[in-house]
Amino acid sequence: MRFSGRWYGFLLNLPGLVIVLLWVLFPAFLLVYTSLLRYDNVRPIVFAGLGNYIALFQHRLFWFSLQKVAIFCVSTTALTLFGGMALALSMARITKGAWFFRSLLILPWAVPAVISGIIWKWMFSPDFGVISDLLMKVGLIDTPLSIYGNFDMAMVGIIVADSWTRVPFMGIILLAALLSVSPVLYEAAMVDGAGALHRFAFITLPLIKGPAMVGLLITTMFSFRTIDIIMPLTAGGPGRATYVFGYYIWDQIVKTLNFGMAAAGGMVLFFMTSLIAAIFVYLSRREA
Amino acid sequence: MMEKILRGRVLPYATAIILLGLMMLPVYWTTVTAFKADEETYVFPPVYFPRNPTIEPFRLLFEDYPFSLYLRNSIVVTLTTTLIVTAIGVLAGYGLSQFKFKWSDTLLWILIFTRIIPPLSLLLPFYLLVSWLGLVDTLTSMILANIYLTYPFAVLIMKSFFDNFPRALIDAAVVDGCSRTGALLKIVIPVSATAIASSAIITYLWSWNEFIYAFVFTSTPSAQPVTVGCFDAIGDIFVNWNQMCAGSLMGALPGIIFVFIAQRYLVRGLAAGALKF
Repeated sequence: MRFSGRWYGFLLNLPGLVIVLLWVLFPAFLLVYTSLLRYDNVRPIVFAGLGNYIALFQHRLFWFSLQKVAIFCVSTTALTLFGGMALALSMARITKGAWFFRSLLILPWAVPAVISGIIWKWMFSPDFGVISDLLMKVGLIDTPLSIYGNFDMAMVGIIVADSWTRVPFMGIILLAALLSVSPVLYEAAMVDGAGALHRFAFITLPLIKGPAMVGLLITTMFSFRTIDIIMPLTAGGPGRATYVFGYYIWDQIVKTLNFGMAAAGGMVLFFMTSLIAAIFVYLSRREA
Repeated sequence: MMEKILRGRVLPYATAIILLGLMMLPVYWTTVTAFKADEETYVFPPVYFPRNPTIEPFRLLFEDYPFSLYLRNSIVVTLTTTLIVTAIGVLAGYGLSQFKFKWSDTLLWILIFTRIIPPLSLLLPFYLLVSWLGLVDTLTSMILANIYLTYPFAVLIMKSFFDNFPRALIDAAVVDGCSRTGALLKIVIPVSATAIASSAIITYLWSWNEFIYAFVFTSTPSAQPVTVGCFDAIGDIFVNWNQMCAGSLMGALPGIIFVFIAQRYLVRGLAAGALKF
């Protein structure tokens, strides 16, 4: 028996379709449904309409966690762009041993996020921390830091650690973009007397804008929802200094066990991520 | 002289080495600590070059924690996920790319949409599903979760590679009496081996590195993977940091290996998938 090309393509996708329906769309439906229930593992489950959403918007901690994640997400993305750009620019002109340099560049990406958190916690250890020692040797501080125990510094600590895991992806995307820029353009500009800064601003930047947007989008989206790396580092503390929005949802699932609120929070997280994606898609369409 | 340095090769190498050196500090520090005895671990200022490297932390890791179980669980979950996702992903990518059907564009959009849904949002419904099915604290629950987390990306990578595959080759094989599935097995898969490797490696790493689903779904060492095991161990009142660094090193090992032996595939796969995120 022989199927037409269209049916054949559909049949090939059937197993995947089952996965998508059962493992993605059904849970997604369940998320919407649960968000409309009073489901707090104390009282009987009843339909609550938009009750969870109203409770969420009236919860001071919800707004607080959104503030925290905004600071975290914007700073991480900025630091990642800066670090990725610096690495990509310096590696674009490397030919000998490029393979080795690139392997080192991707390495942090391949380390499990939760393990990166453990590693950074050890590096920032208040008692035996290597970072305290290095900063003291350079003369920036006099006494060892207790970065994850300090209300003001803890946020800086998780931003640095999270950026460390995200710089590789940004660097690789920017490096690929830089390598695709034709050297002829630079030579022509140099003949015309353009300096290094001008060449960067008028040749490099416009040509790598597209890939840079993709890198920015993914970094923003992923750092907005991350908690893997924060769990071993600060667990949202000290106090609530690093209590990002993801942690708010996490606590509703594993601590307060208010599943209805957790689902409503999950919906808000989804809408905000979509909003971020939409903004970036709009910006890159407008440029193009 | 200055101009020569700037134009030449010295500056790019120097900046790259300094920047990458800073970036490698956590890797270096973990590796060094993993081979330190307690006397050199718990001192300040810290010891940068251990005088008496030892494998004692690794030995104690397997003795004090059920680390061999963690490793076994991670390997079983990751290998199963990778096999299933790669097999189904190759078929789906082949269909989406070469044999367009009525809803193929819709399906493609659903897959992209799936990538935008934050895993943290679906954690709760997925957990409810897993507990209804009676799968709490089993390896199966994590395999199911990892399939959901990796499948859409794998299909998008495959599709973007198969899009560049010359259709004429498939048609020629079909004219010569080969079935379309035969063409997939005998021509497309061998020629696209690197693309499939890219997708499989990324699937493998993502499954291995997964943490929050595994943390919620499992509660005993009989099902916990390495990531959860390491996290549990730093929750203790006294943390054995040299053993934890040894554990972290083993948890990061698949990543380290793949980055050095298959860097090209990783980069190609990430670039191909990223453009469609």
